[in-house]
Amino acid sequence: MVDAARHPNIEIRAYTEVERVDGFVGNFKVQLREKAKYVLADRCNGCGDCAEACPIEVPNYFEMNLAPRKAAYVPMSQSVPLIYNIDMDACIHCYKCVEACGKLEAIDFAMEDKLVWEDVGAIIMATGYTHFDPSLIPEYGYSRFPNVITAMEMERLNNSAGPTAGNLIRPSDKTNPKRLAFINCVGSRDKRFYPWCSNFCCMYSIKNAVLLKQMYPDCDITIYYMDIRTPSKGYEEFYDRAREMGVHFIQGRPSLVTEDEETHNLYVHAEDVSLGKVIEREYDMVMLNQAAIPQLDQNVMSSLMNISQSPGGWFMEYHPKLRPMDSPTDGVFLAGACQGPKDIPNSVAQGSAAAARAGRILHSDEWEIEPIVAYVWEDRCVSADGKKCGICYNACPYGAIEYEQGQAAKVITAKCHGCGACVAECPHNSITQMHFTDAQILAQIHAVLAKRPEEKIVAFRCHWCSYGGADLAGTSHFEYTANERGLRVMCSARMDTDFIYEAFRLGAGGVLYSGCHPQDCHYITGQIIGATRADRLKKAFDRMEMTPGRFRIEWISAAEGDKYARVLNEMQDVLDEIPKEELLAEIEKLRPTMEKRVRRLRSVPGVEAAYQFSEKLENIIVKEIIG
Amino acid sequence: MNHNPHAPETFADRVRNIPGGEHLEMCYSCGTCVSKCMIQQKVEPEYNPRRLLRLVMMEMEEEAYESPTTWLCSGCDLCYPACPQEIHISGVIGAVKSLAVEKGYTSPLDTVSVDESLCSGCAICVMVCPYEAPHLIEKIVDGVNDRFSEVDANRCMGCGICVASCPTGAIAREGVSNTDIVRQIPHEVVKTDAPSLMVFICDWSLRADADLEILESYPENVKVIHIPCSGRIDPQLALLSLRSGISGVLVCGCKSGECHYQRGTDVANCKISMLDRMFDQMDLADGRVRFVQIGTQDRGRIRKEIDQMLLHLTSLQEVC
Repeated sequence: MVDAARHPNIEIRAYTEVERVDGFVGNFKVQLREKAKYVLADRCNGCGDCAEACPIEVPNYFEMNLAPRKAAYVPMSQSVPLIYNIDMDACIHCYKCVEACGKLEAIDFAMEDKLVWEDVGAIIMATGYTHFDPSLIPEYGYSRFPNVITAMEMERLNNSAGPTAGNLIRPSDKTNPKRLAFINCVGSRDKRFYPWCSNFCCMYSIKNAVLLKQMYPDCDITIYYMDIRTPSKGYEEFYDRAREMGVHFIQGRPSLVTEDEETHNLYVHAEDVSLGKVIEREYDMVMLNQAAIPQLDQNVMSSLMNISQSPGGWFMEYHPKLRPMDSPTDGVFLAGACQGPKDIPNSVAQGSAAAARAGRILHSDEWEIEPIVAYVWEDRCVSADGKKCGICYNACPYGAIEYEQGQAAKVITAKCHGCGACVAECPHNSITQMHFTDAQILAQIHAVLAKRPEEKIVAFRCHWCSYGGADLAGTSHFEYTANERGLRVMCSARMDTDFIYEAFRLGAGGVLYSGCHPQDCHYITGQIIGATRADRLKKAFDRMEMTPGRFRIEWISAAEGDKYARVLNEMQDVLDEIPKEELLAEIEKLRPTMEKRVRRLRSVPGVEAAYQFSEKLENIIVKEIIG
Repeated sequence: MNHNPHAPETFADRVRNIPGGEHLEMCYSCGTCVSKCMIQQKVEPEYNPRRLLRLVMMEMEEEAYESPTTWLCSGCDLCYPACPQEIHISGVIGAVKSLAVEKGYTSPLDTVSVDESLCSGCAICVMVCPYEAPHLIEKIVDGVNDRFSEVDANRCMGCGICVASCPTGAIAREGVSNTDIVRQIPHEVVKTDAPSLMVFICDWSLRADADLEILESYPENVKVIHIPCSGRIDPQLALLSLRSGISGVLVCGCKSGECHYQRGTDVANCKISMLDRMFDQMDLADGRVRFVQIGTQDRGRIRKEIDQMLLHLTSLQEVC
């Protein structure tokens, strides 16, 4: 930290919050709230005289509230920058600190929060994690039994700079505990609270056990665990060392902790799984290793930065394997436990990687993006005629569209990721997506339905999930109907209602609308936009009395090749069950309705040409080659 | 879930198909259910729900049917809210049990029996039983069509709630029949300075062995009668104790929601508060009969409750 503070290119803004983020990669504008410290940073020399003079004591958060701090304080002794701060919630305005500060005159009670705008090129999120509150599990008695403590409290009690100067004592009677139990997985791997494994608790409970065993060799330490997870280099050897030192490991999740009211000793009830027997053991102290959970204001940060969250609430990475330090928003990177529970080596590695990624942006004058961005035909946009619309603006998951009534909508190319949500949502077909234009996709639909369309199933697949699922079905040799005709678009949000109507107008037997599962969407909320549209379509088809099963909505991930094959086989079964004449009659019956719904498509630039080209193609391929 | 629709149905599939058995494969053998349950400690060392789940998953059908776990689980569901995988364990065990009964296995438990010469067919037992074990049958006796209660031995867990509720005393179970308990109440107590106390204790309300030792540590004047469930308490047993000269009666049961027999403690609560109201109407309510509910975490509370009761009884004696 001190190195960072001394570096000429690094500026540390302590006690400052991000209020707003505008702009895009390379050109962010960030609004910061520099909170009032009531101490002038350029005058304070960190001598601590103000804290000594201050008469107010409040619980010290850094010491897990096990010790007091003054209202004039630094969060911890190693704080960088070492500038004191006055806690106005606790201050009684006695001004003794001002007196103590004397000639330095560093204390200024008139200070106010300051809002400043900064230009930045890249943003790295390193907001960390927080701990699960174990008092939510009443069985373990935390906050009711004084000698049940959390791992972080143990960390302070066992620290030579901590409130007890490293002397481990029981909170109830201030004696040294002789028998200690550590309980792992408190709140983690628990469907009632947090289903994930918190990654580093096994290791820190072993670390604490080894440390205590070194300091108090006659201490009896037991670790209750479900599974000990030591997956990194040297970890298993450390686990071995702990066992050699005499730390007891009991496989079994305790179901209950009870307390003797007089001695405040604790009894841990657990099954020793290897014995298959229930054991009840007495301890002086019990330590709970709580789950690591996302910061309580993770949602606020997420909407501020426009980065999505994984199902558990952690920040979502762009790609779990290939780009684990990138957020879905260009120019915003993730480091450490804000992306998921992580130990120190992994956090350091990710932090360095994120810094390198950010450096790449800062060093270059140009930023390369995928060429599949959206483009607005200004003459077609109704907003330019002064009509109220803004549908594209609301649909964009990235905030890449600027919309103002009276002017045509504008795409900020650097922000656009090419999901196509705005393109499909635009009711006037005024937006198109490069390389996925309406004309191109319609031409594909025409091509796949050129011959015997009633036998075909048109499968719209999203690039990231269902297309991968179909790929997996192929490479895994899962058999599925040969009548499937797959069309790739980037996201289910690009699957325009027009495409589905056009496919049915041309007489397609079935249409599959497939994409990612909502939490897996590559484009933050793209799937949700797609799903809403698909549901609307389904209702419309139900009203038209189309045979159920001819239009199907399925969310298939890239790992679900078997599901892709199964869904298509089921669709084929539906088609097989309808007698051919009935199917053809139904297609004919619905054709006028479909015709009506796609009547405006021909006016879209390129579509007419695509239709003519398709017809020509049909003539060549179908009539001349196949015959 | 069955991954291959063409594979023959396995034992595990059959358990899953019974409502309650669905989440079988979620178990990762942490042992929470085993240690939360008191059956292994108190009744049967071989009892282990976690292992039964393994037996089902490993297709060990015979062993699962013969396992004491299948038959001893009383469905108290203490384990269900504690299970980190949210498996309804008693539901799975219930599913195995119903398959076992289909195969002709029978419950090894001591169950209640009905004396048809005394049964009036009032159906109170049908209403109070947490397990739907008793049901009414019609039979022609001496040419008259009459109703009797009959108990399904495979459902009965032997809690004795029906024994305590039967108005004609037609239901009995070995060890907890009316005569068995009445025999333990002394016929007459010699009056001394120290008050005497009768404690009816539910075997499940005291989790720790240390608590049982507390009970034994009291002198002669505190008499303890063990009952399988506080629901077994009949207000008449309390009255009988008072008639014999005992100064007070303390009934101990589990906390509501933690009762080993689902609602035994609630039944007991109703009965004792009814007795209270009766005493009140007769102007006799002085806290001589008390019902306490002890939770799983209330280690050592039994000592406090008995001491308090003795103190109360001493103060009553002084007033007299």
